[in-house]
Amino acid sequence: MDPLFMALSYYKRRKFEDCVTTCTKILDKNPYDQAAWALKAKALTEQVYIDEVEADDQGIAEMVMDDTSVAQVSRPGTSLKAPTSAGVNQAVRPVSQSGRPVSGFVRPGTQSGRPGTMEQALRTPRTAHTARPVTSASGRFVRLGTASMLSNPGGPFINLSRLNYNKYAMRPNLAKVLFEYIFYHENDVRNALELAALASEHQQFKDWWWKVQLGKCYHRLGMFRDAERQYKSALKQQVMLDTVLLLGKVYQRLDQPLQSIETFKQGLEKFPNESSLLVATARIYDGMNDVENTTKWYKDVLESDGVNIEAIASIAANYFYSDQPEIAIRLYRRLMQMGVYNVELFNNLGLCCYYAQQYDMTLKCFERAIDLANDDELADVWYNIAHLALGIGDNTMAYQCLRLALSANNGHAEAYNNLAVLELQRGDFERAKALFRSAAELAPMSYEAHYNQATLAEAVGDLQSSYISALKATKAFPEHVDSKDLLKKLKQHFTNL
Amino acid sequence: AGPKRKIKARKAAKLPSIERRNWLIHSHFIRKEFDGCKSLIQEQLVETNGQCEYAIYIQALMLRSDGEIQQSLELFQACHQINPKNPDNMKQIAKNLILLGKHKSAIECYNHATDLGERDWEICHCLGVCYQFLKQLDQAEQCFLEALSKGKHTVTYSVLAKLYLEQQETKKAIDILQKGVDFAPENTDLLTSLGLLHLRNESFHRAFELLGQALTYDPENYKAILAAGSLMQKHGDFDVALTKYRVAAQRVPESSSLWNNIAMCFFGKKKNVAAISCLKRANYLSPFDWRILYNLSLLHLTMQQYASAFQFASTAIGLKSDHGPLYMLLAVGLANLGQDDNAEQAYLKAMELNSNDPHTLINYCVFLHNRGNSQKAANILGNFHKLSDDKSVSVEKELFEISKRLSAVLNVGEKIVVEKEKVEKHRKKKATKKTES
Repeated sequence: MDPLFMALSYYKRRKFEDCVTTCTKILDKNPYDQAAWALKAKALTEQVYIDEVEADDQGIAEMVMDDTSVAQVSRPGTSLKAPTSAGVNQAVRPVSQSGRPVSGFVRPGTQSGRPGTMEQALRTPRTAHTARPVTSASGRFVRLGTASMLSNPGGPFINLSRLNYNKYAMRPNLAKVLFEYIFYHENDVRNALELAALASEHQQFKDWWWKVQLGKCYHRLGMFRDAERQYKSALKQQVMLDTVLLLGKVYQRLDQPLQSIETFKQGLEKFPNESSLLVATARIYDGMNDVENTTKWYKDVLESDGVNIEAIASIAANYFYSDQPEIAIRLYRRLMQMGVYNVELFNNLGLCCYYAQQYDMTLKCFERAIDLANDDELADVWYNIAHLALGIGDNTMAYQCLRLALSANNGHAEAYNNLAVLELQRGDFERAKALFRSAAELAPMSYEAHYNQATLAEAVGDLQSSYISALKATKAFPEHVDSKDLLKKLKQHFTNL
Repeated sequence: AGPKRKIKARKAAKLPSIERRNWLIHSHFIRKEFDGCKSLIQEQLVETNGQCEYAIYIQALMLRSDGEIQQSLELFQACHQINPKNPDNMKQIAKNLILLGKHKSAIECYNHATDLGERDWEICHCLGVCYQFLKQLDQAEQCFLEALSKGKHTVTYSVLAKLYLEQQETKKAIDILQKGVDFAPENTDLLTSLGLLHLRNESFHRAFELLGQALTYDPENYKAILAAGSLMQKHGDFDVALTKYRVAAQRVPESSSLWNNIAMCFFGKKKNVAAISCLKRANYLSPFDWRILYNLSLLHLTMQQYASAFQFASTAIGLKSDHGPLYMLLAVGLANLGQDDNAEQAYLKAMELNSNDPHTLINYCVFLHNRGNSQKAANILGNFHKLSDDKSVSVEKELFEISKRLSAVLNVGEKIVVEKEKVEKHRKKKATKKTES
């Protein structure tokens, strides 16, 4: 059979490795076969392709040094950087290490709060702010580039420095393939930008596709206003879903969530009930800690797209933390019926079953979760089993579970805190104190450890430390009544007499 | 004009008095204008080369109210060096030592202060606090009493009451709190604590009076609201209690005792599902509270969900193993789960812990009768009758009726299924639910 036909067929069936080898063979025979060249470039790109809309990775530098937002002190409810905590009760729903309530679904762009300074960013745990370990700048793109070169033992497929972009820009069929190759495979945004600019000029700025690509390049380079201009101009020519999503993302980076929502709403007029737009809107509300709207939009998603994992998981988490574990079970079971099979799901299902008093399923779910887990996840599973043990009144088992959680993940702040509480019940004050301290250091934004430290210090009469801890507790959870009462009492001690 | 100029010249030649701006510092301080006060103090200290005692003293006080006890302590020590004869400085040093948790050194300092000046009520009171922390309770009591004899202060009353409670002397605590309330009838803390003590002693009328008084002075005092609500619950005024709790729920939305009491209100109004969801929230908020678990178990028994009832009862037993009625609940659950032998064991344990609980007796009797052990059932019923003859134990009417039916059946030997009595006993249990203390 014709090798080029085979290669094309491989590509269509997404067998990229085979496609690449076939193309290499054709190119060895005839180095000037442009069809094979383009196909190979496409196959190589597809191997490492990541949707640009979802790939939203912010390194430390972007989070701390970047000043793209216009308003420094924004009104509450109009910014992603200073979300209001109203509507979320910390006494019921746990917070992540950086102080935002835990969400139901983790995605690459999840930013659970931002570090204030560079020093603080370096000191906090690596996964406290994003779903992946934080790097100094968006490190994912660098890493992908090098990895792809390694997979090519014969050296890079195209030597970018030798290309004459002018020549390729004239030929739109090759230019698009080459651009995608440079952008996704080589991650060389500067060269990609050059090619895109030339090609767009050659098309007399009439092709929306090139404008969107230019916008993507600007976005990656951190030139958000330029990106915005390109996207807008592309939208004037042709309204595409992708462009709307990308434009919304730019506004998010500029810290203008309301503008972003507005963009998505306009998109929804063009594409009614489009689930990706609904999801994007829900995410922004989630970023602003607006639980009510988040749930509403996720519910809209489920109406048009009944198997959206993100929506189901988020709604389920919300139900669980608002005293309705039974409904959460139904949603998680739906996820299971859809074929999702991972630690988190079994973990959540186990917890829900326990809190909904379906005792027959609980332990089985946790057993499955343990089987599937890696180290960090294992810690969470053991931590939850400890809750179960406390629930059946078996403190020894809870103690063991918490120790197991700590041995799996040494930085599990909640486990330290609960272990300390158990130590207190056993009467070992010194150990409890030390454990509370480590919990408070690991998770400075959750109030429990601080409050516990404060009460403990107050009980032994060390009011100075108690005061410091109570201050931290009220800072982490301003509405906590017990902390406030304690603080008031301490203030009285300090001023009276 | 001549003599006037002379006077002026003489004044200028005079050295500035060290204490000359104390009045200004003081007036800034008492108005809480701390910023102005600080700069003034700084000026004064530079002018006097750090010899102005009062400036340092006020600075230390400000630091203390900011919570920086250690630095404040150092400044008071500097004051003491400037003026070693002032007992006030010594007292403040001691006070700071108390705040830092160094009670032994604080006692020494107070003794030193007594040597410098007279022994006033403040010294006595603080010494008492120190001794209390060091667990020398007798000495602490003496100190507090001495403090009261020198000057009456509400703080002393409340710490002394706490001391008595620690020694399990409720009567004395009530007496001292009563004196405190007579002295300061508008102090809501004293009123509430006294009310709670009366509640614990089952003198409900007085308790209600005191709590009502506390609530008129401070309608948002959630401790008083909770206690008053539980009193109303006891008398069956569930709707009134719920309106009270509504006020408290806005102030303390995450208080487990509050949710517990709300749940039992719903239970009283036969809204069992609402009650269970409230109780589960309470249990989520405070998993170590056995009372909540007890109520949960009880509710699940009435809902005939015996597996859950057993579950909660056994958890509660894990947290509090010396409470008879808990074993009884466990036994009822077990009997309904078909585990008769275990149920028997649980009943025996319940009888062992509290053989005078009429509910346990009746339930055990029914259980024995259902198993066909009429002989022993009759014995237990005899015990129950003995108990009900005793005037000191109050037994409800429903139990009497059941016991009558039982004795009839036991004599005749007819089979009956008495399921209802479980529903009856919870009324009594609501007494256990004031969990404020």
